[in-house]
Amino acid sequence: MSPSTATATAAAHPATAATEPLLRISGLSVAYGRRPGRAAERVLDDVSLDARAGEILGVIGETGSGKTTLARAVVGLAPVVEGRITVDGEEVTGLRGRPLRELRRSGRIQYMFQDPLRSLDPDLTVGEIVGEPLTVGTGTERGERAGRVREALELVGLPAEFAERTPGRLSGGQRQRVSLARSVVTRPRLLLADEPVSALDASNRNHVLLLLDELRRSLGLAVVIISHDLSSLAGIADRIAVLYRGRLVEQGPAEDVLTSPLHPYTALLTASAPSVRREHRITPAQLRPRDPRPEWTLQPPADACVFAHRCPFAGEDCRQAPAAAAHGGPARTVACHRAADWRERLTADAL
Amino acid sequence: MRTLRRTLRLRTARTALPVLAAVALLALFGGALAPQDPLAQDTAQLLHAPGGAHLLGTDYLGRDVLSRLLAGTGDSVAGAVEAVVAAMLLGIVPGIASLWLGRVFEWVSLRAVDALMTLPFTLFAIAAVGVFGNGLHQAMLALGVLLSPLFFRVTRAAALGFTQAQYVQAAELMGASRRWILRTHLWSKILPTVAVTTAHALATALLTVTSLTFLGVGVQPPAPTWGGMLASDLGFLAQQPWAPILPATLIMLTVGALNLLADAVRDAGAAGTEPARARTAAPAPAGRPHRAGPTEQPAPKEQADAPLPA
Repeated sequence: MSPSTATATAAAHPATAATEPLLRISGLSVAYGRRPGRAAERVLDDVSLDARAGEILGVIGETGSGKTTLARAVVGLAPVVEGRITVDGEEVTGLRGRPLRELRRSGRIQYMFQDPLRSLDPDLTVGEIVGEPLTVGTGTERGERAGRVREALELVGLPAEFAERTPGRLSGGQRQRVSLARSVVTRPRLLLADEPVSALDASNRNHVLLLLDELRRSLGLAVVIISHDLSSLAGIADRIAVLYRGRLVEQGPAEDVLTSPLHPYTALLTASAPSVRREHRITPAQLRPRDPRPEWTLQPPADACVFAHRCPFAGEDCRQAPAAAAHGGPARTVACHRAADWRERLTADAL
Repeated sequence: MRTLRRTLRLRTARTALPVLAAVALLALFGGALAPQDPLAQDTAQLLHAPGGAHLLGTDYLGRDVLSRLLAGTGDSVAGAVEAVVAAMLLGIVPGIASLWLGRVFEWVSLRAVDALMTLPFTLFAIAAVGVFGNGLHQAMLALGVLLSPLFFRVTRAAALGFTQAQYVQAAELMGASRRWILRTHLWSKILPTVAVTTAHALATALLTVTSLTFLGVGVQPPAPTWGGMLASDLGFLAQQPWAPILPATLIMLTVGALNLLADAVRDAGAAGTEPARARTAAPAPAGRPHRAGPTEQPAPKEQADAPLPA
């Protein structure tokens, strides 16, 4: 999308452009099942999330919590059964055929695959790979492409002569940069990065994360970073959303979520992350369920709180799944019946 | 494409290609090169041994064997090529289409291919000749129909693994058309497999052509073909026990060269993911390419081998 059309869209919705988040996910449920109609397993259940332009939203959760599915649902790769996803005020759920292809060709939404080794065609050169979204997409003149490719490579810190190489001759960090260059070459509005750093060593990880941070500043991108690793998000995410078993358990400003978690699961995550400092922290042992625990949590009913079987504070009311509730302002939500008082019980137990 | 270039560096390919080039030249210009009229009978010189005016001797009608061999190459090779081209058209196009045209087309085409695979080559060709009239074209098109399942299966199997590749998915997310994906991402990966199959199929077709002409199907007797010569020579084993060796050597050389070439293409494809240039160029940082090598492509070797009937 060119800058002129961006301003045109903004002018078309003068009231909403300033306040409306770029990505709005509301009540999203995704279910995979072989046949429609049969009770399919819900991979995501009633997830609502926002991301604004120029903001980095970190989505965190353990394996199988539905983080990747969340990103795939935005680009139309996962079957949405309920809820809406809007990008730039335009609904993208349920798009099919021509409108979907046109949206994809516009390059406004980019999805970065988790594995840069397998998502780059080994037979093409870096230049061809990075230029592919432009060649396939609309709105770029043939002569402009080479310049845009060079620009994108420069943006991610790769020398221009890399354009002649094939992915087989690049290191892991360089491949991730190529993948990133391919994602930003269309000047997207929204970038979904699936585990962008999980395959990289520490120094490359920092490079790529800093790069994402720079890009959202210079391009005004909304970036969604999906990660299982709290420490890689801690430095750069503006807001963090925590997923557990397809439920959004907590979200809020990164600082608040990390330093004073409201959900016991988030607390467990932060407590488990290695850290040099060790002052008045909760230890993982304090968050382990203690015996005797309520009988029903061993085989929790389907509509119970998803965390109940691992939660030391589970009580009778946890048989009903808690709804996400605002906590200390609209920016922060938590889905826990015990959000207000579990810390007190923690200290009481510790004594 | 890189696979094909790598093939040329292999020794087996370098042996096979000149032989095949020579056969191709013979097929094109064999008739013109023939020192004598391959059909001219000379009843004064029946069943002569090699030497003198007839470099490779004469047959039971006094015809020059060398001239017949040279002139017969064209029909034999053209028949095999015709059959394989027909098989490629009938196999590769639906093979790729079956990946995308939905379940019904996929099921129907797979069952049709299964049915075709049960029919024996030679009998089917004879039946086709019986229905459509005796002629090399009829027999070869029938053979092409029977060879097409091979190409269908191989193309489909090779492409199937790659349609799930992440870079194909990435291209779909860019809004790429199927034609683009096929041209940019899939074709270069399918090509080595198709090349192997083509070489094998040419060898098979050549043998079938010779057996058909041996049986007298397709080409009428006075016209020379390798198979026809073999058949007539067998009638005079008592007088010329060495005679069948001449056409048999040509058949063997051609088929052998084709098989060697097929092996070379396959070997080049299997080694394909190893970045040969990376070792000589600047040291690859972090040393990842080596580890990536064998896992990158799901063993095109096995895929290429599996569907080939022995």
